Amino acid sequence: MHLSIRNISKTYPNGVRALTNVSLDIPPGMFGLLGPNGAGKSTLMRMLATLQDPDEGSIHLGELDVLSQKDEVRKTLGYLPQEFGVYPKVSAEELLQHFALLKGIPERGARREVVEALLRQTNLWEVRKQKLGGYSGGMRQRFGVAVALLGNPKLLIVDEPTAGLDPAERVRFLNLLSELGENSVVLLSTHIVEDVSELCTRMAIIDRGKILLEAEPLRAMTDLRGRIWRRVMSKAELPALEREHAVISTKLLAGRTVARVHSDAAPGPGFEAVEPDLEDVYFAAMAGRIGRRHEQPEPVATR
Amino acid sequence: MTLLGVFRFELAYQLRRPWPWLCMAVLAVFAFVNTRVAVVPATLPQDFILNSPFIIAVVSVFSCQIWLLIAPAVAGEAAARDVYTRMYPLTYTSPVSKAEYLGGRFLAAFVLNALILLAVQVGSLLAAHAPGVDPEIIGPFRPAAYLAAYGLIALPNAFIATAVQFSIALLSGRPMASYAGSMGLFFFSYPVTVVLYFSGVQKLALLADPIGVMAIMNEMMSNWTIVEKNVRMFTLEGPMLLNRAIWVGIALLTLALMYVRFRFAHRPAQRARATDVFRRLRGRFAVRVPMPDTAPARIAISVPQVRRSFGLTTGFRQAVSVARSSFWMIAKSPPGLFLLAVFPMFVVLVLHVESEMWGIQMLPRTGYILTKHVTAALTYFADYRVIVPLLIVYFAGELVWRERDARISENIDATPVSEWVFVLGKFLGLGLVLAAFMVSLTAAGMLAQTLMGYHDFQVGLYLKILFGLQLPEYLLFAVLVLLVHALVDQKHMAMLAALVVYFLIVFSSVIGVDHKLLVYGSSPGWFFTDMRGFGRSIGPWLMFKLYWAAWALLLAVAATLLWVRGREPAFRSRVNIARLRFTRGTARAAAVAVALIGTLGGFIFYNTNVLNEYITDDESIERRADYERRYGQYEGIPQPVRVGTNLRIEIHPDRGAATIHGSYRLLNRSTVAIDSVHLEPAFYVDTRVSFDRAFRPAVTDARLGHDIYALEEPLQPGDSLTLRFDVIFKPRGFTNSGARSSGAGTSILENGTYFTSGALPVIGYQPLRELWSADDRRKHGLPRQVTLPPPGDIDPSVAANAPATFEAIIGTDENQVAVAPGELRRTWSEAGRRYFHYGSDVPISGTDVFFSADYTVHRERWKDVDLQLFVHPGHATQRERVLRSARASLDYYSEQFGPYPYRFLQIIEQPGDFLGMGVDGSGVITGGEGFFLLNPEGAGFDAIFEIVAHEMGHQWWGMQLKPAFAEGGGVISESLAWYSAMQLVKTVKGREALRRFMSFMREPNPWPPIRTGLPLLRAMDPWANYRKGPYAFLALSEYVGEERVNGALRSLVETKVSSFATTLDMYRELQAVTPDSLKPLLHDLFEVNAWWTFDTRQATAVQTQAGAWRVTLEVEAHKVVGDSAGVERETPMTEWVEIGIFAGAGPGEVLGNPLYVQKHRIASGTQTITVTVPQEPARAGIDPYNLLDWEEGDNIEPVKIERRSAKESS
Repeated sequence: MHLSIRNISKTYPNGVRALTNVSLDIPPGMFGLLGPNGAGKSTLMRMLATLQDPDEGSIHLGELDVLSQKDEVRKTLGYLPQEFGVYPKVSAEELLQHFALLKGIPERGARREVVEALLRQTNLWEVRKQKLGGYSGGMRQRFGVAVALLGNPKLLIVDEPTAGLDPAERVRFLNLLSELGENSVVLLSTHIVEDVSELCTRMAIIDRGKILLEAEPLRAMTDLRGRIWRRVMSKAELPALEREHAVISTKLLAGRTVARVHSDAAPGPGFEAVEPDLEDVYFAAMAGRIGRRHEQPEPVATR
Repeated sequence: MTLLGVFRFELAYQLRRPWPWLCMAVLAVFAFVNTRVAVVPATLPQDFILNSPFIIAVVSVFSCQIWLLIAPAVAGEAAARDVYTRMYPLTYTSPVSKAEYLGGRFLAAFVLNALILLAVQVGSLLAAHAPGVDPEIIGPFRPAAYLAAYGLIALPNAFIATAVQFSIALLSGRPMASYAGSMGLFFFSYPVTVVLYFSGVQKLALLADPIGVMAIMNEMMSNWTIVEKNVRMFTLEGPMLLNRAIWVGIALLTLALMYVRFRFAHRPAQRARATDVFRRLRGRFAVRVPMPDTAPARIAISVPQVRRSFGLTTGFRQAVSVARSSFWMIAKSPPGLFLLAVFPMFVVLVLHVESEMWGIQMLPRTGYILTKHVTAALTYFADYRVIVPLLIVYFAGELVWRERDARISENIDATPVSEWVFVLGKFLGLGLVLAAFMVSLTAAGMLAQTLMGYHDFQVGLYLKILFGLQLPEYLLFAVLVLLVHALVDQKHMAMLAALVVYFLIVFSSVIGVDHKLLVYGSSPGWFFTDMRGFGRSIGPWLMFKLYWAAWALLLAVAATLLWVRGREPAFRSRVNIARLRFTRGTARAAAVAVALIGTLGGFIFYNTNVLNEYITDDESIERRADYERRYGQYEGIPQPVRVGTNLRIEIHPDRGAATIHGSYRLLNRSTVAIDSVHLEPAFYVDTRVSFDRAFRPAVTDARLGHDIYALEEPLQPGDSLTLRFDVIFKPRGFTNSGARSSGAGTSILENGTYFTSGALPVIGYQPLRELWSADDRRKHGLPRQVTLPPPGDIDPSVAANAPATFEAIIGTDENQVAVAPGELRRTWSEAGRRYFHYGSDVPISGTDVFFSADYTVHRERWKDVDLQLFVHPGHATQRERVLRSARASLDYYSEQFGPYPYRFLQIIEQPGDFLGMGVDGSGVITGGEGFFLLNPEGAGFDAIFEIVAHEMGHQWWGMQLKPAFAEGGGVISESLAWYSAMQLVKTVKGREALRRFMSFMREPNPWPPIRTGLPLLRAMDPWANYRKGPYAFLALSEYVGEERVNGALRSLVETKVSSFATTLDMYRELQAVTPDSLKPLLHDLFEVNAWWTFDTRQATAVQTQAGAWRVTLEVEAHKVVGDSAGVERETPMTEWVEIGIFAGAGPGEVLGNPLYVQKHRIASGTQTITVTVPQEPARAGIDPYNLLDWEEGDNIEPVKIERRSAKESS
């Protein structure tokens, strides 16, 4: 199973260009889609989940045309939307049973088995009789995961799944995903770099509707080795630094500003070489130091 | 200032939404149509001014009701959008006070609604001033009329409704809840009010209506004269003012309550929604289990691999699951509970109220209560049942939007489920709700029957009628509204669209769409009565329903194709998606639907338009106009009159066929020779005619139904000829309204055949076929016609329609009894059929009626009169009461008003579930099946006796004395018939029985008092004919003397035996017997509209030393005289009025033994009267029998006994 996205573009009726000529090849395994908020991740995810159509382009899952064979795609699809609700007056078990039936498990016994396993796996077994209206955000998210996992999906699309989870839940969930990634296409969209670095064998960085970089995280980090430099300074020095060097990110550390600079050679005194992490890859791509924005610089950004 | 900011933002926000504008458009169109063509003008018999304040006010109040249903979104959005969109954490925490936030939002909603309602006045204005209207019916433009309607009707309604909608939406956090609030108000405004009104608490009913429809309509419709309706300005007064004050008060209270309850607080909106009644109840008692929300160490659990399937079977199981969950969602919601529990309870109440007539309970037979009060066609909107389709619209919206409202739609849309599963599942869910509703109605019906002490439930009939006939009606509609909600991708717009679709269905005939092939879901009605069963009504009904079911299938396919899934709202992309969804299965379903529509539609069309003639209302009006234009010239020309009828009738109930061979003896009573006979055969039967002398057809006009036969040899004065005819009834398919009620159709049924001499040819031009509505006549360029001429305009020399001798041999199936007018001369069997020979040598008039059914027959003789009673076998419970009244009437009336001239009297149960009784012709009284279900018990009030007495009265007043077709005609038929019944009751049963009878007469149902009609001599309105007239005669008989008044009436019958009578003839007779001292009273009763009001302020008594009782009464008296413009003038009075003093009442009585009843001269104003009586008095008062003051109430007071004080005794 291989997901191939070709030249997808989408413009909303209000004029917002959500996606511009996006192409991606996604092999089985975990694939991370990384990008800031509003980058077009959710639009792309919904297209893969058969809920939205591009203006142009095509999407294929193996032999299936995702855009015209929605029914077929849905049979192998698990989808966890970024935001969703529940029927408040129904218990988790009841609603999951309902979903199991919708996912094509008509036999009662089989359904019960599957539902039990998923409820246990998402740690909702103890509270399965509770009405969903009383669930906390994390519980509800786990319920959504259970729904997405129903029916052993070959294509799992999870949109910002870790947003509502506490650290422990997040770990559990990511473990679950990586297990699934062993024989399915799992597409994870996130704006949290760690989610990708911990899990994904491949990733893409998307911004303003365009793919900036498509890479393997490890390889991308290796490629940056020796090019990331760090300097600690006062805030007042930053503007000067930005003028002279390609600052890709800044953060605060104990009241001092830490700037990271992308440079092929040592930028000078006061800089120390650091081991690049995925965050550097992300910011370097966003800043146009690597990836497509580097290869084909765009006209001045509009914002 | 913040308030202003909140207000402005909300106003601007909603003005950018589409729904306020669409509501405006809908209302403007509604007001326009309503003013121009529709409901209101049709209810006015005479000419009206299109832009009179009355019409403007009535249109405004009706439009308010429509507005109430279509526009709740405005208040709902303003109140609950923040919670619904989950924006509230931002707004609630901003530095705005509760008062500013709520005030601004509420004001914005109110102002928006006020703006929307402005469209009503725009529509009214356009209706009067846009082109296409006759300038004759347009009065001067009076801005004050529009302002009054807007300011006094629309604005208070906007305030009241907005307050309720806003509060409910705010507290529940759901904009849609405002629709539920609206329906609650609507339920009060219509169903509750109407039921209260007809259950005898009119005053309460006028107050219970939040929209004021009843208060306004009642006040203006019945209390304003025609003149007033055209000119009088609308103001708030009386019950209208009180109604408005109360409801504005309730609205303010609601707002206050809402303000107190509302908090800027976190909304655990999903946790304990205000709508979840069960949960809240349970929450009161349940202890919440703490929830483990932390993740323990990871346990490896593998999800079992199970086989999945995606076939049709799975689809159906999925649909069932969707249906089950949809059902519970609706059933547990407050509107669902309302439908399934509250509404059926309301039906129990309705059944209780409605199955009483004049305080008498009817036998609550299952078929009767179901067809009369529980079931209704979708197009029926005249009472409480209208709430069901409205709830279906609401439920369909809730179901279609369920996933999106719960924000779970993306999860569900991505599952491998076909769209048809959702469509089918939700339809089944709604269907389950409706089926449960039918179960509730069954329970309600049985409960009502049990409460009335009736136990023959006929469960099978409940199932047939509710599940077989009513449920499909609602299910078809459910499919349509599901489609609308699926199609329109915005919830409020979808509600609006669905409601507009519903209104179009309801008002289809008003907007000129009559053919039931064109109005979704409609069909000819079915009927069910004990006698007829379902008759022939089911077949046509079923054909149409199947046809619409095929459409429903097509709609379901469309809903499947356009089902919203995912986020592609643009219509173009929805069409693209629909194209993808158009699989072979869908195509097959669509093809089946289209094929069925074609075949069934074709079959129906063949029946309605080919086998039978299909005429629209316009066409039939056109024909009546043509009829008058072409043949009106023959009105009143000399024609032979029928003096003898001879019929040979063969009825074949099983085949729905009949043949009549008949002949008329026609006599030339005029002074000239007649060379041609004008003959009008009945429509929808085959008629062949011939004369016993040479003739040739000169004109044969089947379209207008007028034939002219030229006689070779003219018929000389005094000469006669015989007309022979054959009339053949043959079943011929069905029409747009089902089996025809005339011709074959439903006239000849397996049991309960009924037809009249309307099926036989008539002689001469029939003026009654002319158009009568002023509007129609104007549109067709016909001269204006006075509805009825005043009694003085009637030419006394015009002879009444000559009665004719009658003879009929009528044959039917062996097991049935056939009835025709006359005494039964012979009955025999022949070739497996039964024959009956009826006849009357005394000429009879009126309509001849013919029956065949499995009747139970009772025959007896009163003197030489053959008294016959025919009733359905199960309906004979009250036979003796009917007969007793008939005998008593024959005795008393023939003694008082002259002999009963006929040799027979027939009382026949007519198939059909109506309640009334009536006189068809000489010697023939028919009552509906409903009448024979009346079940008075014991010695209580016996309406059967009174009603039969009234109809018997018509054998004198109407059959012998024939009213001219003129003003006041009703007084000499209806008033005299009731007066006769009153005298009979007084004579046979006594004064207390009369008093009880009168007190039922005074109930405003069915005829509320009309103070502004014409005086009795020219009376036209039903209240004058059926109520005021009898009261006046009764009063006169008490003042002048019963013998004198009855003698005058007897002499009237004698003098007018062969010509039409008017009120003036009657008045002359009355004047002749009235002494001069009472002439002023006679004048006040008949010549003008005089109203007396008497009030006993207090009555005290003290015992005299002699042991007698001295009673002192303080009484007040007034008399007003009203003119035709409704202006009432107080007129000084000095009248003889009865003063009555009564002993304590026995059980079941109101007044005890009269101790003293004498007339005193009473003047206007307050006066004191002292009377001494021998016994201790209990009650005393002025006009105790309500002879002149026709409103019961304050005439009689309990007597206060005073201990004698020392001073007084000295």
